[in-house]
Amino acid sequence: MTLPRFLQIHSLSPYTAALLNRDDTGLAKRLPYGDVLRTRVSSQCLKRHWVQTDDPHSLTRIDGAEAAYRSRELVTRKVIDPLRGRFPEEVVNALEPEFQQAVYGDKGTTKTNRQTLLFGEPEIAWLARESERLAQEANGDADAVKKAAADWKKGFRANIKAMRDGATLPAGLKSALFGRMVTSDTDANITAPVHVAHAFTVHGEEAESDYFTAVDDLSEDEPGADTIQETELTSGLFYGYVVVDLPLLIENLSGDVEMAGAVLHNLIYLIAEVSPGAKLGSTAPYGRASLMLLEAGDRQPRTLAEAYRRPSKADTAAAVDAMKDHLRRLDDAYDTGEERQVMTLVDVELPGAKRGSLSVLANWAGTLPGALG
Amino acid sequence: MSHKWLVIRLESPLMAFGGVAVDQEGPTRDFPAASMLTGLMANALGLHWSDRAAHQALQDRLIFAVRREREPRGEGVVRDIQNVQLTKADQGWTTFGTPEGRGGASYNAPHRRTRHYLADQAVRVVLRFQPVELPPTLETLADALDRPARPLFIGRKPCLPSCRLMDGWVYGDTAHAALCSLSGPGTFRALWPTGEGPETDTSVERVIDLADIRNWRSGLHGGSRHVVEGRVKGVAVS
Repeated sequence: MTLPRFLQIHSLSPYTAALLNRDDTGLAKRLPYGDVLRTRVSSQCLKRHWVQTDDPHSLTRIDGAEAAYRSRELVTRKVIDPLRGRFPEEVVNALEPEFQQAVYGDKGTTKTNRQTLLFGEPEIAWLARESERLAQEANGDADAVKKAAADWKKGFRANIKAMRDGATLPAGLKSALFGRMVTSDTDANITAPVHVAHAFTVHGEEAESDYFTAVDDLSEDEPGADTIQETELTSGLFYGYVVVDLPLLIENLSGDVEMAGAVLHNLIYLIAEVSPGAKLGSTAPYGRASLMLLEAGDRQPRTLAEAYRRPSKADTAAAVDAMKDHLRRLDDAYDTGEERQVMTLVDVELPGAKRGSLSVLANWAGTLPGALG
Repeated sequence: MSHKWLVIRLESPLMAFGGVAVDQEGPTRDFPAASMLTGLMANALGLHWSDRAAHQALQDRLIFAVRREREPRGEGVVRDIQNVQLTKADQGWTTFGTPEGRGGASYNAPHRRTRHYLADQAVRVVLRFQPVELPPTLETLADALDRPARPLFIGRKPCLPSCRLMDGWVYGDTAHAALCSLSGPGTFRALWPTGEGPETDTSVERVIDLADIRNWRSGLHGGSRHVVEGRVKGVAVS
């Protein structure tokens, strides 16, 4: 059994008569592929909708309170405990409440009063470095370290508040999944464990220029339209591809394997059910994926886009057939041994893939962080 | 002296090879930058970006040449428009101790920028390390490409590869010779460093001063190297 370090999520999602993602000219984004122009939905558009949605499986619905009980001990375990044995007990004991309060607020000295904060490696590393520096400079004097720590807390109040704001749920989840960057300080950056490819239609673009007018019904004297415009409407079966780096996701969630599982479970639903669409009122661009294929393994992840280099018919059965053939050829050539599960609306067998409903797939995805051991 | 070269195939619906970026336009050249390949290798090997010396060592040891496998019918470049909603209150903590903010400018409209991608193209890279025996070796890199520490991407995170990167081994005295031992019909546009192939014969189109190396210690690109752009023939497959 290969370690499930990477989770690859392939999807086929149909949208009809919509304008999901526009460029600066107001037309649908496009991609030339196999010498045929496809309609495209950009990576950033997909990510934004998955993060912003108010869906039952949105990231904001992941309750951190119980699942991340361990994250309330981060300062204790990762900042204060490493000092024990290396510095006098009184010094470390004088440092601890100052750091707990700095990070969790004035009531932060008791665990039950602490909120859930999602710190990644950069935050922990900086706090650990600062506590070590203060312990060292104290030279064994507990009173001196208490004063130094109080000064530190005051001096860095704004910075620690910025850190706390960024780590509180659900903002912390967004950064843990999709990264965060500060231009002046690469050491404070969070690397995104989720890679989202630009989605594109498996067939050539099907676009229509919709000529429309807006008429003022209350105007009795002027005939004709008040405005005449054109907008594009596209229909498409979009192939989507996402890779999740599981060890990095767990690291970004302060080592919380259960929360990583909850996040992956919800992410499967978000990818399958949340529309990346705009123009909600005029096009109702809502749908559900016709196929979700999950692959868990440790070999170099690869998109199945090549299955659609020669455009398939704009039809789920044809698209799944093309995916099946390409996957079989890849398996024959490379035998990479991923474990696969698939949810599909058509009765086509994908090589090595166990078939199930979306909830079965989402639950399986939720168990993968735990399987990394 | 015949060297062993690792062949890497880079292919994806969208790829970004890097280029000199001014302001909010993120261009891409049609051959991968040395810094981009260094980052790709570092990602496969599991280096952290703070391992600046290790990145620098990888780039310093890298000798590579590139062959374009496929020419697009049209321009082959997608200019992706990206809009970022910024607010005055955005803040990020720093390891310096003071949070970084927006500096009080007005943010009524989103920040708009463009990122260029190569659409539906493919290249093959032949590369080796000099000195040969220092870690990581070429064999270690080949294994890391197949079982990478993190998912591999070609230039930008959405650019996920559509095929296995690790594409075999070839032998040759120079990078150009290694390129010429790759199979395929016809002639291909190619790039090789000066000193690793011809510089003046009819296969050469131009010799340029290419600014594609990064000073990993400072984090900024700096300096340039001489490269030759030209054409190579593929070995006929029987």
